[in-house]
Amino acid sequence: MAFDAQLAMADHIAKITLIGSLDASSAPRFKEVIEEAAVQSPTKLVLLMDSLDFLASAGLRVLIFAKQKMGAGVDIYVVGSQGPVLATLEMSGFHHSVYIQETYVEA
Amino acid sequence: MIPLCLPATLDSLDEIGKYIVAATTEAKLETKPAYGLRLAVDEIATNIITHGYEETGKAGNVTVSGEITDSSLTIVLEDSGIPFDPLSRKLPSEDELNLPLEERDIGGLGIFLVLKGVDSFSYEFINGKNRNMFTMNLPGKA
Repeated sequence: MAFDAQLAMADHIAKITLIGSLDASSAPRFKEVIEEAAVQSPTKLVLLMDSLDFLASAGLRVLIFAKQKMGAGVDIYVVGSQGPVLATLEMSGFHHSVYIQETYVEA
Repeated sequence: MIPLCLPATLDSLDEIGKYIVAATTEAKLETKPAYGLRLAVDEIATNIITHGYEETGKAGNVTVSGEITDSSLTIVLEDSGIPFDPLSRKLPSEDELNLPLEERDIGGLGIFLVLKGVDSFSYEFINGKNRNMFTMNLPGKA
């Protein structure tokens, strides 16, 4: 149930791979990576969630933080999210504000 | 199940999660309700640890216990932090849930996910302790 977040920047697109369990104990690490990405002024934020198996509200709050920190003009893509993690995003209304995709395709 | 007593720190969320996974496996709960229960317990445990202990500078423990009967799985979280009724929190409205992220308030989602994830949730403050109780009906038996 460990967590890891890895950032890769390319062509002003911030791609973050999220692995494991994202809750209040791991959200500070995710927030750190978002801040690391934000200082590089990305035009898009792509979150690769294939291997994220648990998402609590603390993780959702970091997504809100990301949008508010990077600005409304920076689109957020949630890629590869499935099952209950995807259901949590949809139940919380996040699908209205982010692009949800199975594999990353620029919208 | 044997109750598990852990320090009221965020590092304990992992152990609490493992306890819930063991309980839902033993109760043969399906994936979706099992996840809902784990999420609900994680959210309340986070509230207890953050608001009941860390923000007040208090140290203490949180105890998680589980009981499986023919018709239900019940998980109880108990702590001696400050009295806090999660049901007193305002839930986000449908309109608030539809707001774009840049306009959203950062709070209120936790208890919303709790109530969505379990068949029943209750809170009481009894004998100086917060007692949060989560119940899942077992398929075909409730």
